[in-house]
Amino acid sequence: MLEILINLFALSIGAGFIGAISGLGGGVFIVPALIIFAHMPMKVAVGASLISVVATSAGASVAFVRDGWTNLKVAMVLECATVTGAVIGAYLAGVVPTVVLELLFAAMMLQSAYFTVTKRGDDILTRGDPLAERLELSGDVPDLSGTPVHYEVVKVPQGGALMVVAGLMSGLLGIGSGALKVMAMDYIMHLPLKVSSATSNFMIGVTAGAGALVFLARGDVATTIAAPVAIGVTAGALTGSRVLPHIRVEYLRTVFVIILLLIAAEMGWRALSGI
Amino acid sequence: MPKQEEDRILREWTPILLRSILIAAMILLVAGLVMTYTFAPDYFVQRYHEARQGHLIGRERFATLPDRIRAGNPHAVLTIGLFVLTLVPLARVAFCFILFIRERDYTYVALTAYVLAGLIVGVLVGSVG
Repeated sequence: MLEILINLFALSIGAGFIGAISGLGGGVFIVPALIIFAHMPMKVAVGASLISVVATSAGASVAFVRDGWTNLKVAMVLECATVTGAVIGAYLAGVVPTVVLELLFAAMMLQSAYFTVTKRGDDILTRGDPLAERLELSGDVPDLSGTPVHYEVVKVPQGGALMVVAGLMSGLLGIGSGALKVMAMDYIMHLPLKVSSATSNFMIGVTAGAGALVFLARGDVATTIAAPVAIGVTAGALTGSRVLPHIRVEYLRTVFVIILLLIAAEMGWRALSGI
Repeated sequence: MPKQEEDRILREWTPILLRSILIAAMILLVAGLVMTYTFAPDYFVQRYHEARQGHLIGRERFATLPDRIRAGNPHAVLTIGLFVLTLVPLARVAFCFILFIRERDYTYVALTAYVLAGLIVGVLVGSVG
Protein backbone atom coordinates (compact mmCIF):
# COMPACT_ATOMS: atom_id res chain seq x y z
CA MET A 1 0.00 0.00 0.00
CA LEU A 2 2.84 2.34 0.89
CA GLU A 3 4.34 2.05 -2.59
CA ILE A 4 0.98 2.89 -4.22
CA LEU A 5 0.52 5.86 -1.91
CA ILE A 6 4.03 7.20 -2.61
CA ASN A 7 3.45 6.91 -6.39
CA LEU A 8 0.08 8.68 -6.20
CA PHE A 9 1.48 11.42 -3.94
CA ALA A 10 4.48 11.95 -6.25
CA LEU A 11 2.25 12.27 -9.34
CA SER A 12 -0.27 14.54 -7.68
CA ILE A 13 2.23 16.81 -5.92
CA GLY A 14 4.06 17.23 -9.25
CA ALA A 15 0.79 17.96 -11.10
CA GLY A 16 -0.37 20.44 -8.45
CA PHE A 17 3.01 22.20 -8.46
CA ILE A 18 3.20 22.59 -12.27
CA GLY A 19 -0.48 23.55 -12.37
CA ALA A 20 0.11 26.35 -9.87
CA ILE A 21 3.24 27.83 -11.45
CA SER A 22 1.82 27.60 -14.99
CA GLY A 23 -1.50 29.13 -13.88
CA LEU A 24 -3.38 26.32 -15.66
CA GLY A 25 -4.46 24.41 -12.53
CA GLY A 26 -3.72 20.89 -11.33
CA GLY A 27 -6.49 19.14 -13.28
CA VAL A 28 -4.82 19.72 -16.63
CA PHE A 29 -1.78 17.73 -15.44
CA ILE A 30 -3.19 15.18 -12.97
CA VAL A 31 -5.66 13.62 -15.46
CA PRO A 32 -2.95 12.69 -18.02
CA ALA A 33 -0.50 11.80 -15.21
CA LEU A 34 -2.98 9.25 -13.78
CA ILE A 35 -3.79 7.87 -17.23
CA ILE A 36 -0.24 7.68 -18.59
CA PHE A 37 1.84 6.86 -15.50
CA ALA A 38 -0.65 5.15 -13.14
CA HIS A 39 -2.52 3.41 -16.01
CA MET A 40 -5.91 4.52 -14.69
CA PRO A 41 -9.02 4.54 -16.91
CA MET A 42 -10.03 8.04 -18.06
CA LYS A 43 -13.22 8.10 -15.94
CA VAL A 44 -11.33 7.23 -12.73
CA ALA A 45 -8.79 9.98 -13.46
CA VAL A 46 -11.57 12.51 -14.19
CA GLY A 47 -13.44 11.74 -10.93
CA ALA A 48 -10.29 12.05 -8.81
CA SER A 49 -9.18 15.18 -10.61
CA LEU A 50 -12.53 17.00 -10.19
CA ILE A 51 -12.31 16.60 -6.42
CA SER A 52 -8.69 17.76 -6.26
CA VAL A 53 -9.57 20.80 -8.39
CA VAL A 54 -12.21 21.82 -5.81
CA ALA A 55 -9.50 21.70 -3.12
CA THR A 56 -6.91 23.73 -5.05
CA SER A 57 -9.49 26.34 -6.04
CA ALA A 58 -10.51 26.80 -2.40
CA GLY A 59 -6.89 27.00 -1.24
CA ALA A 60 -5.79 29.51 -3.87
CA SER A 61 -8.95 31.64 -3.61
CA VAL A 62 -8.39 32.51 0.05
CA ALA A 63 -5.68 35.11 -0.66
CA PHE A 64 -7.20 36.35 -3.96
CA VAL A 65 -10.60 37.07 -2.33
CA ARG A 66 -9.10 38.63 0.81
CA ASP A 67 -6.80 40.91 -1.21
CA GLY A 68 -9.61 42.06 -3.51
CA TRP A 69 -8.41 40.55 -6.82
CA THR A 70 -11.49 38.35 -7.27
CA ASN A 71 -14.58 40.01 -8.76
CA LEU A 72 -17.17 38.15 -6.69
CA LYS A 73 -20.21 39.44 -8.60
CA VAL A 74 -18.79 38.50 -12.00
CA ALA A 75 -18.08 35.05 -10.54
CA MET A 76 -21.63 34.67 -9.23
CA VAL A 77 -23.18 35.67 -12.57
CA LEU A 78 -20.93 33.42 -14.67
CA GLU A 79 -21.20 30.47 -12.26
CA CYS A 80 -24.82 30.07 -13.45
CA ALA A 81 -23.37 29.23 -16.88
CA THR A 82 -20.49 27.03 -15.68
CA VAL A 83 -22.68 24.98 -13.30
CA THR A 84 -25.16 24.28 -16.09
CA GLY A 85 -22.35 23.13 -18.37
CA ALA A 86 -20.60 21.13 -15.63
CA VAL A 87 -23.68 19.11 -14.60
CA ILE A 88 -24.45 18.29 -18.26
CA GLY A 89 -20.77 17.48 -18.88
CA ALA A 90 -20.43 15.22 -15.82
CA TYR A 91 -23.62 13.38 -16.81
CA LEU A 92 -22.34 12.93 -20.38
CA ALA A 93 -18.96 11.70 -19.05
CA GLY A 94 -20.81 8.58 -17.90
CA VAL A 95 -22.09 7.80 -21.40
CA VAL A 96 -19.63 9.35 -23.89
CA PRO A 97 -17.05 6.88 -25.28
CA THR A 98 -13.53 7.26 -23.89
CA VAL A 99 -12.12 7.91 -27.36
CA VAL A 100 -14.23 11.09 -27.62
CA LEU A 101 -13.08 12.22 -24.16
CA GLU A 102 -9.43 11.66 -25.12
CA LEU A 103 -9.82 13.68 -28.32
CA LEU A 104 -11.57 16.49 -26.43
CA PHE A 105 -8.79 16.44 -23.83
CA ALA A 106 -6.18 16.76 -26.58
CA ALA A 107 -8.14 19.71 -28.03
CA MET A 108 -8.30 21.40 -24.62
CA MET A 109 -4.52 20.98 -24.19
CA LEU A 110 -4.00 22.71 -27.55
CA GLN A 111 -6.32 25.53 -26.41
CA SER A 112 -4.34 25.86 -23.15
CA ALA A 113 -1.06 25.96 -25.11
CA TYR A 114 -2.50 28.64 -27.42
CA PHE A 115 -3.66 30.63 -24.39
CA THR A 116 -0.21 30.33 -22.73
CA VAL A 117 1.48 31.67 -25.88
CA THR A 118 -0.96 34.47 -26.63
CA LYS A 119 -1.58 35.79 -23.09
CA ARG A 120 -1.87 39.53 -23.56
CA GLY A 121 -1.87 42.72 -21.50
CA ASP A 122 -4.88 44.48 -20.01
CA ASP A 123 -7.37 46.37 -22.18
CA ILE A 124 -9.31 48.23 -19.49
CA LEU A 125 -12.64 49.84 -20.46
CA THR A 126 -14.03 52.95 -18.78
CA ARG A 127 -17.60 52.33 -19.92
CA GLY A 128 -19.56 49.11 -19.47
CA ASP A 129 -22.65 47.90 -21.28
CA PRO A 130 -26.15 48.29 -19.74
CA LEU A 131 -26.50 44.69 -18.52
CA ALA A 132 -23.09 44.76 -16.78
CA GLU A 133 -23.99 48.10 -15.18
CA ARG A 134 -27.35 46.75 -14.00
CA LEU A 135 -25.57 43.77 -12.42
CA GLU A 136 -22.94 46.13 -10.88
CA LEU A 137 -20.05 44.12 -12.27
CA SER A 138 -17.46 46.90 -12.45
CA GLY A 139 -14.56 46.98 -10.00
CA ASP A 140 -11.22 48.47 -9.03
CA VAL A 141 -7.81 46.95 -9.45
CA PRO A 142 -4.48 48.35 -8.20
CA ASP A 143 -1.94 49.25 -10.93
CA LEU A 144 1.84 48.74 -10.57
CA SER A 145 2.11 51.75 -8.23
CA GLY A 146 -0.79 50.50 -6.12
CA THR A 147 -3.22 53.20 -7.31
CA PRO A 148 -6.75 51.80 -7.82
CA VAL A 149 -7.81 51.72 -11.49
CA HIS A 150 -11.53 51.43 -12.24
CA TYR A 151 -12.61 48.90 -14.87
CA GLU A 152 -15.95 48.23 -16.52
CA VAL A 153 -17.32 45.01 -17.97
CA VAL A 154 -19.01 44.28 -21.33
CA LYS A 155 -20.56 41.37 -23.28
CA VAL A 156 -21.83 39.32 -20.33
CA PRO A 157 -24.04 36.99 -22.47
CA GLN A 158 -21.15 36.19 -24.85
CA GLY A 159 -18.81 35.54 -21.91
CA GLY A 160 -21.53 33.39 -20.32
CA ALA A 161 -21.91 31.33 -23.51
CA LEU A 162 -18.19 30.47 -23.45
CA MET A 163 -18.54 29.66 -19.73
CA VAL A 164 -21.17 27.00 -20.53
CA VAL A 165 -18.56 25.39 -22.80
CA ALA A 166 -15.91 25.73 -20.04
CA GLY A 167 -18.28 24.02 -17.56
CA LEU A 168 -19.08 21.28 -20.07
CA MET A 169 -15.36 20.56 -20.59
CA SER A 170 -14.78 20.62 -16.83
CA GLY A 171 -17.49 18.03 -16.15
CA LEU A 172 -16.43 15.85 -19.08
CA LEU A 173 -12.66 15.99 -18.59
CA GLY A 174 -12.10 16.69 -14.88
CA ILE A 175 -10.22 19.92 -15.46
CA GLY A 176 -10.96 23.42 -14.15
CA SER A 177 -11.04 24.87 -17.71
CA GLY A 178 -9.18 27.89 -16.32
CA ALA A 179 -7.60 28.80 -19.66
CA LEU A 180 -11.05 28.97 -21.31
CA LYS A 181 -12.54 30.92 -18.40
CA VAL A 182 -9.73 33.49 -18.37
CA MET A 183 -10.06 33.89 -22.16
CA ALA A 184 -13.79 34.55 -21.80
CA MET A 185 -13.27 37.19 -19.10
CA ASP A 186 -10.12 38.79 -20.49
CA TYR A 187 -10.68 38.69 -24.27
CA ILE A 188 -14.49 39.00 -24.41
CA MET A 189 -15.59 40.79 -21.22
CA HIS A 190 -12.44 42.95 -20.92
CA LEU A 191 -11.67 42.28 -17.26
CA PRO A 192 -8.00 42.91 -16.32
CA LEU A 193 -5.90 39.73 -16.68
CA LYS A 194 -5.11 39.32 -12.98
CA VAL A 195 -8.78 39.86 -12.04
CA SER A 196 -9.76 37.30 -14.71
CA SER A 197 -7.25 34.76 -13.33
CA ALA A 198 -8.34 35.27 -9.70
CA THR A 199 -12.06 35.18 -10.61
CA SER A 200 -11.56 32.09 -12.78
CA ASN A 201 -9.77 30.35 -9.90
CA PHE A 202 -12.65 31.19 -7.57
CA MET A 203 -15.29 29.94 -10.04
CA ILE A 204 -13.42 26.69 -10.70
CA GLY A 205 -14.44 25.47 -7.21
CA VAL A 206 -18.14 25.64 -8.04
CA THR A 207 -17.68 24.31 -11.59
CA ALA A 208 -15.58 21.32 -10.50
CA GLY A 209 -17.76 20.90 -7.39
CA ALA A 210 -20.87 20.48 -9.55
CA GLY A 211 -19.11 17.84 -11.65
CA ALA A 212 -17.62 16.15 -8.57
CA LEU A 213 -21.06 15.85 -6.93
CA VAL A 214 -22.41 14.07 -10.03
CA PHE A 215 -19.45 11.65 -9.98
CA LEU A 216 -19.68 11.07 -6.20
CA ALA A 217 -23.43 10.51 -6.23
CA ARG A 218 -23.06 8.10 -9.17
CA GLY A 219 -20.41 6.11 -7.29
CA ASP A 220 -17.81 6.94 -9.93
CA VAL A 221 -15.12 8.21 -7.55
CA ALA A 222 -12.47 5.72 -6.42
CA THR A 223 -11.68 6.86 -2.88
CA THR A 224 -8.36 4.99 -2.94
CA ILE A 225 -7.25 7.22 -5.83
CA ALA A 226 -9.15 10.45 -5.11
CA ALA A 227 -8.11 10.83 -1.44
CA PRO A 228 -4.31 10.77 -1.90
CA VAL A 229 -4.64 12.73 -5.16
CA ALA A 230 -6.67 15.49 -3.47
CA ILE A 231 -4.08 15.77 -0.66
CA GLY A 232 -1.13 15.64 -3.07
CA VAL A 233 -2.47 18.13 -5.63
CA THR A 234 -3.36 20.58 -2.83
CA ALA A 235 0.11 20.26 -1.27
CA GLY A 236 1.76 20.67 -4.68
CA ALA A 237 -0.39 23.70 -5.53
CA LEU A 238 0.31 25.39 -2.18
CA THR A 239 4.06 24.82 -2.64
CA GLY A 240 3.84 26.13 -6.22
CA SER A 241 2.04 29.29 -5.14
CA ARG A 242 4.74 29.89 -2.47
CA VAL A 243 7.55 29.42 -5.01
CA LEU A 244 5.80 31.41 -7.77
CA PRO A 245 6.87 34.92 -6.63
CA HIS A 246 10.56 33.83 -6.63
CA ILE A 247 10.81 32.36 -10.13
CA ARG A 248 10.79 33.94 -13.61
CA VAL A 249 7.71 32.23 -15.05
CA GLU A 250 8.19 33.77 -18.54
CA TYR A 251 11.29 31.57 -19.03
CA LEU A 252 9.21 28.50 -18.18
CA ARG A 253 6.43 29.37 -20.63
CA THR A 254 8.09 27.41 -23.46
CA VAL A 255 8.43 24.38 -21.14
CA PHE A 256 4.71 24.55 -20.26
CA VAL A 257 3.75 24.78 -23.95
CA ILE A 258 5.95 21.76 -24.78
CA ILE A 259 4.38 19.74 -21.90
CA LEU A 260 0.86 20.68 -23.09
CA LEU A 261 1.67 19.74 -26.68
CA LEU A 262 3.15 16.41 -25.55
CA ILE A 263 0.01 15.67 -23.49
CA ALA A 264 -2.18 16.63 -26.49
CA ALA A 265 -0.13 14.31 -28.74
CA GLU A 266 -0.25 11.43 -26.23
CA MET A 267 -4.01 11.74 -25.64
CA GLY A 268 -4.69 12.14 -29.37
CA TRP A 269 -2.53 9.08 -30.10
CA ARG A 270 -4.38 7.04 -27.42
CA ALA A 271 -7.73 8.00 -28.96
CA LEU A 272 -6.71 7.21 -32.52
CA SER A 273 -4.75 4.03 -31.79
CA GLY A 274 -7.36 2.68 -29.33
CA ILE A 275 -4.88 2.05 -26.46
CA MET B 1 -26.96 47.19 4.31
CA PRO B 2 -24.69 49.44 2.16
CA LYS B 3 -22.91 47.80 -0.81
CA GLN B 4 -19.46 48.38 0.70
CA GLU B 5 -20.51 46.61 3.90
CA GLU B 6 -21.84 43.67 1.88
CA ASP B 7 -18.53 43.50 -0.05
CA ARG B 8 -16.55 43.65 3.21
CA ILE B 9 -18.55 40.78 4.72
CA LEU B 10 -18.07 38.68 1.56
CA ARG B 11 -14.31 39.34 1.42
CA GLU B 12 -13.86 38.73 5.14
CA TRP B 13 -15.99 35.61 5.61
CA THR B 14 -15.60 33.79 2.28
CA PRO B 15 -11.88 33.00 2.86
CA ILE B 16 -12.64 31.87 6.44
CA LEU B 17 -15.39 29.56 5.17
CA LEU B 18 -13.23 28.16 2.36
CA ARG B 19 -10.21 27.57 4.60
CA SER B 20 -12.18 26.01 7.49
CA ILE B 21 -13.99 23.43 5.34
CA LEU B 22 -10.82 22.70 3.34
CA ILE B 23 -8.84 22.02 6.55
CA ALA B 24 -11.67 19.84 7.94
CA ALA B 25 -11.76 17.81 4.70
CA MET B 26 -7.97 17.41 4.64
CA ILE B 27 -7.94 16.22 8.28
CA LEU B 28 -10.62 13.62 7.43
CA LEU B 29 -8.72 12.45 4.34
CA VAL B 30 -5.39 12.13 6.17
CA ALA B 31 -7.12 10.36 9.10
CA GLY B 32 -8.88 8.03 6.64
CA LEU B 33 -5.61 7.15 4.91
CA VAL B 34 -3.83 6.52 8.24
CA MET B 35 -6.76 4.31 9.39
CA THR B 36 -6.73 2.43 6.09
CA TYR B 37 -2.94 1.95 6.28
CA THR B 38 -3.28 0.66 9.85
CA PHE B 39 -6.41 -1.49 9.66
CA ALA B 40 -7.13 -2.36 6.03
CA PRO B 41 -4.06 -2.07 3.77
CA ASP B 42 -5.03 -5.15 1.74
CA TYR B 43 -8.49 -3.77 1.07
CA PHE B 44 -6.87 -0.53 -0.16
CA VAL B 45 -4.62 -2.42 -2.59
CA GLN B 46 -7.57 -4.53 -3.79
CA ARG B 47 -9.71 -1.41 -4.40
CA TYR B 48 -6.80 0.30 -6.14
CA HIS B 49 -6.43 -2.56 -8.62
CA GLU B 50 -10.21 -2.73 -9.12
CA ALA B 51 -10.18 0.99 -9.94
CA ARG B 52 -7.41 0.37 -12.47
CA GLN B 53 -9.69 -2.17 -14.16
CA GLY B 54 -12.46 0.47 -14.17
CA HIS B 55 -14.64 -1.42 -11.67
CA LEU B 56 -16.25 1.39 -9.74
CA ILE B 57 -19.90 1.83 -10.47
CA GLY B 58 -22.06 1.80 -7.38
CA ARG B 59 -19.28 0.70 -5.03
CA GLU B 60 -18.93 3.93 -3.11
CA ARG B 61 -22.34 5.57 -3.35
CA PHE B 62 -23.61 7.96 -0.67
CA ALA B 63 -26.48 5.56 0.02
CA THR B 64 -24.13 2.83 1.29
CA LEU B 65 -22.19 5.25 3.52
CA PRO B 66 -24.13 4.80 6.84
CA ASP B 67 -23.79 0.99 6.63
CA ARG B 68 -20.07 1.25 5.93
CA ILE B 69 -19.56 3.68 8.84
CA ARG B 70 -21.41 1.29 11.17
CA ALA B 71 -19.18 -1.52 9.90
CA GLY B 72 -16.10 0.52 10.90
CA ASN B 73 -14.86 0.73 7.30
CA PRO B 74 -11.91 3.20 7.13
CA HIS B 75 -12.89 3.91 3.52
CA ALA B 76 -16.10 5.46 4.80
CA VAL B 77 -13.94 8.13 6.49
CA LEU B 78 -12.24 8.79 3.13
CA THR B 79 -15.63 9.05 1.42
CA ILE B 80 -16.84 11.52 4.07
CA GLY B 81 -13.63 13.54 3.58
CA LEU B 82 -14.22 13.72 -0.18
CA PHE B 83 -17.87 14.63 0.40
CA VAL B 84 -16.91 17.44 2.82
CA LEU B 85 -14.45 18.71 0.21
CA THR B 86 -17.19 18.98 -2.41
CA LEU B 87 -19.28 20.87 0.15
CA VAL B 88 -16.77 23.77 0.01
CA PRO B 89 -18.37 25.44 -3.05
CA LEU B 90 -21.90 24.52 -1.88
CA ALA B 91 -21.33 26.19 1.50
CA ARG B 92 -19.80 29.27 -0.11
CA VAL B 93 -22.74 29.75 -2.51
CA ALA B 94 -25.23 29.11 0.35
CA PHE B 95 -23.46 31.79 2.42
CA CYS B 96 -23.77 34.33 -0.46
CA PHE B 97 -27.42 33.33 -0.97
CA ILE B 98 -28.27 34.08 2.69
CA LEU B 99 -26.33 37.35 2.60
CA PHE B 100 -28.18 38.54 -0.52
CA ILE B 101 -31.54 37.63 1.05
CA ARG B 102 -30.63 39.74 4.09
CA GLU B 103 -29.69 42.60 1.81
CA ARG B 104 -32.79 42.11 -0.39
CA ASP B 105 -30.66 42.06 -3.52
CA TYR B 106 -33.12 39.87 -5.39
CA THR B 107 -31.18 39.68 -8.66
CA TYR B 108 -28.29 38.01 -6.84
CA VAL B 109 -30.66 35.95 -4.68
CA ALA B 110 -32.01 34.49 -7.94
CA LEU B 111 -28.52 33.95 -9.41
CA THR B 112 -27.11 32.21 -6.31
CA ALA B 113 -30.34 30.17 -5.96
CA TYR B 114 -29.82 28.97 -9.55
CA VAL B 115 -26.23 27.90 -8.77
CA LEU B 116 -27.34 26.14 -5.56
CA ALA B 117 -30.12 24.38 -7.48
CA GLY B 118 -27.56 23.36 -10.12
CA LEU B 119 -25.33 21.77 -7.46
CA ILE B 120 -28.30 19.90 -5.95
CA VAL B 121 -29.47 18.79 -9.42
CA GLY B 122 -25.90 17.45 -9.87
CA VAL B 123 -26.40 15.11 -6.90
CA LEU B 124 -29.78 13.99 -8.25
CA VAL B 125 -28.43 13.45 -11.77
CA GLY B 126 -25.58 11.36 -10.34
CA SER B 127 -27.94 9.37 -8.11
CA VAL B 128 -30.10 8.25 -11.01
CA GLY B 129 -27.03 7.33 -13.04
